[in-house]
Amino acid sequence: MFGVFMFIWSFALITGIVMVWLLSWAIRRGEFRNLRQGARMIFDKDEPIGLVTDHFPGAKR
Amino acid sequence: MTTETIPPVAAPEFKVRVEVDGSSRPVVVLYWGSSLLWLTIATLAGLISSIKLHSPEFLGGIEWLTFGRIRAVHWDTAIYGFGGLAASGTLLWLQARLCQVRMPYPKLLLVGGVVFNIGLVLGTVGILMGYSTGVETLEFPLWAMPLLVVPYVFIVIANFTMYFTKTTNHTYVSQWYLMAVTVWFPILVLSAEACTNLGAVDGVAQAIANWWYGHNVVGLFATPTGIAAAYYLIPKVIGKPIHSYHLSLLGFWSNAIFYNWAGTHHLTGGPLPAWTITLGVVGSLMMFIPVITIGINHHMTMVGSFHLLRTSPTLRFAVMGSMIYTLSSFQGSLEALRSHQEVTHFTHYTIGHVHFGMYGFFAPLMFAMMYYGMPRLMDQEWSSARLIRIHFWCTLIGMSIYVTAMCYAGIRQGLMMNDPSIPFLNIVRFTVPYLAMRTLGGLILLTGTIAFLINFVRIITPRKYTWATPTMLDTDRDWKKLLAQEETEKGARK
Amino acid sequence: MNRTFLLAFGIFLTIASSITGLVIIPNWQFQELKPVVKLDGTRYPEVYFGDQARGREIYINQGCIYCHTQQVRMKGYGADIRRGWGTRRSVPRDYLVDRPHQLGTMRTGPDLASIGARQPSVEWHALHLYNPQITSPGSVMPRFEYLFREVRSGETVPADAIKIPRGRQTGDATHIMPTDRGRTLIAYLKRLNQSYPLPEANQ
Repeated sequence: MFGVFMFIWSFALITGIVMVWLLSWAIRRGEFRNLRQGARMIFDKDEPIGLVTDHFPGAKR
Repeated sequence: MTTETIPPVAAPEFKVRVEVDGSSRPVVVLYWGSSLLWLTIATLAGLISSIKLHSPEFLGGIEWLTFGRIRAVHWDTAIYGFGGLAASGTLLWLQARLCQVRMPYPKLLLVGGVVFNIGLVLGTVGILMGYSTGVETLEFPLWAMPLLVVPYVFIVIANFTMYFTKTTNHTYVSQWYLMAVTVWFPILVLSAEACTNLGAVDGVAQAIANWWYGHNVVGLFATPTGIAAAYYLIPKVIGKPIHSYHLSLLGFWSNAIFYNWAGTHHLTGGPLPAWTITLGVVGSLMMFIPVITIGINHHMTMVGSFHLLRTSPTLRFAVMGSMIYTLSSFQGSLEALRSHQEVTHFTHYTIGHVHFGMYGFFAPLMFAMMYYGMPRLMDQEWSSARLIRIHFWCTLIGMSIYVTAMCYAGIRQGLMMNDPSIPFLNIVRFTVPYLAMRTLGGLILLTGTIAFLINFVRIITPRKYTWATPTMLDTDRDWKKLLAQEETEKGARK
Repeated sequence: MNRTFLLAFGIFLTIASSITGLVIIPNWQFQELKPVVKLDGTRYPEVYFGDQARGREIYINQGCIYCHTQQVRMKGYGADIRRGWGTRRSVPRDYLVDRPHQLGTMRTGPDLASIGARQPSVEWHALHLYNPQITSPGSVMPRFEYLFREVRSGETVPADAIKIPRGRQTGDATHIMPTDRGRTLIAYLKRLNQSYPLPEANQ
């Protein structure tokens, strides 16, 4: 049983440290700097922001 | 209030999108089309099961239709047939669009799709003939499973290929969820099969692995695909970007971390070490974080655009799905509490909750995806707005009747079961009228499905449904004419 | 490319942690668990063999798990013990030889963990499986008549045929004989008994 607990704690510790390191790496690399741009990437000149792109068939517009 | 501005000429992005959609067409239509066939089969199997529960003489005496088999067929065809194929089609189409690349290995994916369907047929027939493995959610016999796993490997390869060859600079939030589905699902299935049907673990440990898998099919496969769809469709249809991209980051990672651990809430009160169940409860409750995050994001994005629900079918299904995602997740998180489970465990309440999530959130978002994507893939309009409306209302009403009946009956059933002075048969008789209401709900759902099937069959057959004012394709421009115009202009310039 | 790899790795970490926590570690905990040796020298739980094993196969392929559980909850949590479904709560050792487990998640019908203790009569099981309405009027359980052979009036009645109570007979069948499949399923059901007092089940 002691072995099981040792494993749980070391695994949790290592995972936690790796996650924190990944987060700090992402911040250092600037992943969080221009997030807004990501939200806009589904729009383009042809289907820009402001254009509704779905209607019932046959509906008058 | 969004203003509609229609660009006067075909921008280069438009051509890219046309090319991408065109290359996806055979694969995605195969996956989505067959998913609807399996949805119909699953609904019929579900109906037969439902009727048998309140009228056990129905189709009685036929061994291959006995409740214990047809019920297993119902949820396996619903999860892997409808769920697996609809989600795969969504994953492939959305990924291609967001990476702006042509669909890679189309022939491989087509073969994979056919093989997957054959696997489903074999698995279904296997269960009906008596070869079920006896493990809930993994009943397909072992000889059918490879036919489901190998095609998925093709999908994983295609997904990563698209990712590594993408031409866009950013990764959209939906793509994180799609990447997650690609990594999680094969690991899930292989580990679960190893633990259960391939016998790596025994007894209670197997039960834990069983339900770690069972819940993760919902949480790490169906849910992320649905959320990915909502994150794309809602802003795309209304023409507004997602309210807060930062929140979407939080939502994604908290989802990824917590949902994984919720599975043991299926075994509360059972012969398990208490810590495994506690983990399940904690994981389930922590889900409030991603659910609220995602809910805020979708809702705040929609604020100011709710009037568009009247005019956009995609939006109706997507917003219905998104709202019910929040509601059913709250329900599920609370349901995991030991005090709640003391009453509702083993009752019809669980079934009500499952269908709230699956037919209130997952299925509507898959429908939304298809309503948006099919006209663009087939360059053709849906043939009937009325059928779309029927589908929507039947989905909403049928699901509501189903869920209300089952949740109410389940709570009463559980309370009565915890009172030993009430004979068990009395409890059974009490639930019968509610089981009949469930059948009614199921019939309404089937009606909606048939309406959708008719529309779907028409849109894939080469007839042009042109309207005076083209709508869902939302091009007041005839893009073929515009492209031809551009070619002639280019030629004139030379 | 870097970003993609890290995203995928992060995702992988989340599932690796839950596999470790929920699949691998409980299995380690149970590794030491062995059947106990009873006073009379036999083991509890004993492996399924012969008719019991074959009957278990039938239990599985008829899908009994979708309406019946095989787990008794502890005293004070639910009313399983007060309903007479068991004399003690179920513990992991009870399921050591179950492959696959049939714990179940629905109680459309009662729990069966100790049905062998509660209903030891072959006759009861045969009549119940053949036509649940005979023993449990109002039940929604399906009829498993294909696990039995009907003896019609006029035919010679075998010595160990089971008589269908008058008033419950449908058609002209007066007795039933379990087929091999029916017999083995009943043998399995009779074996289901978690009454043996285990030390870890003390409450």
